[in-house]
Amino acid sequence: MKKIMKHVAVLLVGLTACNPLQLDEIVDPNNPSVASVTSNATRSQVQFLVTGLESRHRGYVTNVSQAWNTFGREIWYLNSSDPRFQTDWLGQGGRVPDAAYFGFGTTGGGSYASPYQAIKQAQVLIDAVDNTSSISAEEKNAIKGFAKTIMGYQFMIPANFVYQNGIRIDVKDPLNPGPYVTYQEALTYAEGLLNEGFADLANAGTGSSAFPFALTAGWNGYSTLDGLRSVNRAIAARLNAYQNDFQGVLNALAGSFMNLTGNLNAGPSHPYGAPPDVFNPLFYVPNAATTTIVVVHPSVLADATPGDKRVADKFLERTSPVTVSTDFSVLVGTHQDRRWAANTSFIPFIKNEELILLKAEAHARLNQPTDAVAAIDIIRTAAQVGPYAGATSEAALINEILYQRRYSLWAEPWGHRWIDARRYNKLSEIPTSYDQGTIFTQFPRPQADISWDLYSGN
Amino acid sequence: MKKTVLMVFLAMMCTLSLYAQERRITGKVTSTEDGTPLPGVNVLIKGTSIGTVTDAEGFYSLDISNSTQSIVFSFIGLRSEEIVVGERSVIDISLALDVTQLSEVVVSGLASTIKRSNLANAVTTVNAKELLGTTQIQTADGALYGKVAGASIRSNGGAPGGGLSIQLRGLSSLQGASQPLIIVDGVYINNSFQRSGRASVTGAGAANQDDGANRLADLNPSEIESMEVLKGPSAAAIYGTRANAGVIVITTKKGKSGRTTVSFNQDIGTAKPLRLLGVDNWTPDKINFFFTTPARRATELQRLNDANGNFIDYEDYFYGNTGILSNSRLSITGGDDKTKFFVSGSITDEEGTVKRTGFERYSVRANVDHKINKNITVGINSNFIRSNTDRGFTGNQNNTGASIGYTMANVPNYFDLRPNALGVYPTNPYGNENPIALTDKAINNSLVNRFIQSFLFDATLLKTSSSVLKFRANGGLDYLQNTTLVYLPEDLQSQRAQANPGDVFVGKQESFNTNFQAALVYDWSVGKVNLTSQAGIVRLDFMNDQLFNRGRGLTAGQTNLRQATVQAIDGDFLTRQQDAGIFLQQEANYDDKIIATAGIRWDKSTTNADYQKLFAFPRGSLAVNLTNFDFWSVTAVSQLKPRIAYGQTAGPVPFGSTFTSLDAVNIGGRLGTAVGIGSGNLTIEPERAEEIEFGLDAGFLDNRISLEATYYIKTTNNNIQNLNLSPTTGVNTIPTNQAALENKGIELSLGATVFEKSNVRWYTRAMWWKNTATVTELGIPSYLTGAFGSGLGTFLIREGLAPTTIVGTPAIAPGEFTVWGDSQPDFTASWYNTITFLKNFDLNFLMEWRKGGDNINLTSFLNDTGGTTKGWFEDDDGDGIPNGRQRPPAPFNNAGRWVQDASFVKVREVGLYYNVPKATTDKWFGNVIQKAKIGVSGNNLFMFTDYEGYDPETSTFGAAALANNVDIAPYPTQRRLFFHIQIDF
Repeated sequence: MKKIMKHVAVLLVGLTACNPLQLDEIVDPNNPSVASVTSNATRSQVQFLVTGLESRHRGYVTNVSQAWNTFGREIWYLNSSDPRFQTDWLGQGGRVPDAAYFGFGTTGGGSYASPYQAIKQAQVLIDAVDNTSSISAEEKNAIKGFAKTIMGYQFMIPANFVYQNGIRIDVKDPLNPGPYVTYQEALTYAEGLLNEGFADLANAGTGSSAFPFALTAGWNGYSTLDGLRSVNRAIAARLNAYQNDFQGVLNALAGSFMNLTGNLNAGPSHPYGAPPDVFNPLFYVPNAATTTIVVVHPSVLADATPGDKRVADKFLERTSPVTVSTDFSVLVGTHQDRRWAANTSFIPFIKNEELILLKAEAHARLNQPTDAVAAIDIIRTAAQVGPYAGATSEAALINEILYQRRYSLWAEPWGHRWIDARRYNKLSEIPTSYDQGTIFTQFPRPQADISWDLYSGN
Repeated sequence: MKKTVLMVFLAMMCTLSLYAQERRITGKVTSTEDGTPLPGVNVLIKGTSIGTVTDAEGFYSLDISNSTQSIVFSFIGLRSEEIVVGERSVIDISLALDVTQLSEVVVSGLASTIKRSNLANAVTTVNAKELLGTTQIQTADGALYGKVAGASIRSNGGAPGGGLSIQLRGLSSLQGASQPLIIVDGVYINNSFQRSGRASVTGAGAANQDDGANRLADLNPSEIESMEVLKGPSAAAIYGTRANAGVIVITTKKGKSGRTTVSFNQDIGTAKPLRLLGVDNWTPDKINFFFTTPARRATELQRLNDANGNFIDYEDYFYGNTGILSNSRLSITGGDDKTKFFVSGSITDEEGTVKRTGFERYSVRANVDHKINKNITVGINSNFIRSNTDRGFTGNQNNTGASIGYTMANVPNYFDLRPNALGVYPTNPYGNENPIALTDKAINNSLVNRFIQSFLFDATLLKTSSSVLKFRANGGLDYLQNTTLVYLPEDLQSQRAQANPGDVFVGKQESFNTNFQAALVYDWSVGKVNLTSQAGIVRLDFMNDQLFNRGRGLTAGQTNLRQATVQAIDGDFLTRQQDAGIFLQQEANYDDKIIATAGIRWDKSTTNADYQKLFAFPRGSLAVNLTNFDFWSVTAVSQLKPRIAYGQTAGPVPFGSTFTSLDAVNIGGRLGTAVGIGSGNLTIEPERAEEIEFGLDAGFLDNRISLEATYYIKTTNNNIQNLNLSPTTGVNTIPTNQAALENKGIELSLGATVFEKSNVRWYTRAMWWKNTATVTELGIPSYLTGAFGSGLGTFLIREGLAPTTIVGTPAIAPGEFTVWGDSQPDFTASWYNTITFLKNFDLNFLMEWRKGGDNINLTSFLNDTGGTTKGWFEDDDGDGIPNGRQRPPAPFNNAGRWVQDASFVKVREVGLYYNVPKATTDKWFGNVIQKAKIGVSGNNLFMFTDYEGYDPETSTFGAAALANNVDIAPYPTQRRLFFHIQIDF
């Protein structure tokens, strides 16, 4: 018995020595934690968050470009791998969007969740600079101005996606999001953010000085405080047009980078590149033998003005058409997008050409036809289609401006034609004869939001 | 605190030491069949684990106390005999074959076993004979079909090298795949589906669409002696965390003392597709209907004309090949009283039915047991494996065309995709890739090097005539290195369409699991009650590193990443996890009449929010052998055992559930950090399951007929699922512990020895089981999950419904979709037969019937879209719209079109063997050959189903809690035929 007890004792001592019951705390071996930046963030952590915001800022591009431009029949996104890019996005067979529609998932995907992720990132960035002493007050203002400018831009995306269904604007607390507000209220809130951002940037130091943190080359030409303010105002001009505040449009344009004699393509852009960056998602190899490609919608080709330089610049007639069949129809694409020189080309998100067209629209709506025509003619001249010679009634001018917007802003990552047709009550003018589809007005609130309300009892 | 419990327990055991007078019994054990001596037979004092084993010549000697009533002789595969000792000092006995397995021992604790006839749980044991005795099956899990009541086994597809999921007693989690824990000779092995990158390169999606193999495929099933299946928490409670989905305990073959046997086995066979569907022919009428634009019609009519009646059956072209199957095994078994060994080497080389696919596995094993002295035994099992798998390109894809079936769905059979005389592959105008070029040139390979080592240390610390105290330490390691390569050469059509043609995706994955367990086991008795007490500790460590690199824009023909224009790190991910536990268990056996067990395990894990917190998992069970009581007088009923068992287990928290991370993002040449879209939960706990199981085991006519009936209710609480936050908050999900699931089921097994004559023996066994799962509590809003959205069928998770409920369009209210089916089968049944006739012939066959359960058949969807489904242009209702555009139900545009009944009957295994009589071999070869056996067999010989696919068993998402029934252009299942030869020297 004694011997046994000795064995047992040795065993227990042995176990205690290398205690196999002792566990180590395992910290995330792969990523830093969010908590690491919420207080006393270092300067380099702030820089990383700024760059992270730039990344989140482009999260919407692929989905919005492919889907919204399909809704407005600027393009077809032909995809033989998944017929639903045709059947569902074109509304074939009478399909209309539901709360978990194909391509958007339960969260609304790139048209809803992604812009809100950018907004979240901006909020975390603002919190980080509010809770650190490692950067100066002016630098904090610069960061906040930049962050709010991005937020103002991003709020327009979900707002336009669900339109009259309204969105949330109080979204800071993940477990306690605020109520839905109307489209108009959402725009007002976004306008407020832009105005705050504009003011913050004004309080960030000398206007001509560089933004105190590094921005990517997408901001080249706009990376001073003044440059960022001019982008802020350009975004505000687009937003004011959606608010039907056309004097506001003109006021905003005055502070923007609009240049009536300058390069129409001037403007800030989303950068793309080789890994570890991502490639331009809209680039397709010319004449590639593929059945997955964005093609120009036949109506865009059919409606084009002969000799329009934009047609030659933006559309490449393929040596062989792309054909994709669904169980409703066969779609044939004859032209592809030639805007991108390479898969590393940057994608502009607002440009001088749009600002000039906004100017034209504002003048038309404010019954200033001469100024409107002057702005239109800048665009027409550049497109080599000669000056405007049509009627100068408001309706005629708006028709002309909307027509020019179709070609000037064709397939930009915004879905201009879809939104434009909606704001002028012209959705019925978008042709469905080429695909037997349906033109959507808006999307329902995503399922995840509906579910959250069920869960939280709101 | 826990340590104190352990000390008290140990102290208690030591004070209960008993003493008694001893005497010695000796004897010899032989085989009833042929009178040969039987080495290795267990000779135990009844109701205890005190005993010995017979030596190489079948002799034994055992010290017993005067109070000893009976001695039990048992050996796996033979019927146990219980002999009343009385005054005898020599007991010779012969043992007969046993088909009921009542005598075998089954795992009852982490360090103890129990005789099946005393078991209170429905633990299924599949031994080597049943596992591979009928035919040769590539992987161990595939050899369990129809052999385990309560197991839902599903092949993900027919690609070589495995890829199966096993769910025991339904779903135990809404998140994990509900796959059982697998333990091989005491080592917790990695059975994960490892990422290959196929889904990334082909655009299919996330890694769950890789169609990878689960790594149990590495273990050569022919080295397995037995697989014990602990189906639920009541049986597996002592395994604690990780046992929610059950435990499969695999024991590999051991050495035997006696003559050294050299055994050589060779299988040669062929694989052909089990079922092909055919493709549709095209006519000018069909072209005019299908292609709507005049220009395209003209092109297609010209192509049809050019074909001049030479149609190509692409399905047959790609899938209808014959794969050559070869398995070679050499084993040496032997040993003496002190040392026993089993050494084996095997080569599996099996081609697939798609060109350039196949599975090779090389395995070497040495299992050695050695007695250092009469009190100490050590054992080591070492296994090195090298698996090389080419699985080809099937399943889902997007935009690359890199899936044979997916791309083929759109190619009319009049268009010739075959290379011309110069070796140039035509461009496929109907898709993104020429699938012939893909098959001929692309690579999807996984090369695994793996080492599994286990050790065992057994010491008898105290031994009296009526009590034994043993210390047992065991554990081991599993080191696995997997190099994966997915390669699409630069000259493929899909690559030529890319800015940087040529795509290579190289993965390096390393996992290293170690586990250690130490226990004290004390066998003692009080009167007629034999007691086994055990206490111990368990420690587990898991490490997993993955690195994936991708190169695009390749130099011609090169797969080295440095030969790429664009080089990218696709993934770099580490996981680390530690678990520790303590267990106590008490078994009591009253004269084999009443057997009760109680136990508890405490576990903690670093993946839990509180990594120091111990979670307790109790168990208890009771079995009553009515026929062992003196009052039992119905001689026809030889066994009648009602039993009840209860237990709790856990499902581990997935690694990283507590982390709220900043993701690395790169843009414009700068590195940024971005708030992740998932939030961690700092209160997350393991999923907890509890199960109560009732059963009745009965034997009739001296156990010639045996019945095992079980009913269970398994409930899981704290089920982890992601709470979807409002996407407006920029954070999409947070894991929560709110859901509860319930699984109820019945398992029946009826076996009978129909004939038992000297020249004919026929044993038959029928099994029937069903499981019904229900979400009893959700805690979060009802949601849709899995598959490809409501338009094509998805799953509805809602309180009161089965989590396997399939819904889809049309919506009947906003957010509310039509219920179209349920993926859970109504029931599964199997029928196994083994017949020995003309003395030397063995015929075995196994059939399985799965009734009900629906699939989401998107292969049909793809083929219909491309107009290639056989019979597409027929028009059953004569309304001018062909069947291919009018799949029911009306109005022919809903998700219900693709939800199909997946019932089937399969003839799983058939084998016929001839044992060449010793006299014959002696005549031909002298006394060199001890045993020779030849045979023919088949695996998946026939299938009967109304399902419109290659196989109702298919899963494009691999093993998954849900959505493991989605059919997308899978690799067709193989029918395998073999010729076998076995020679023992």
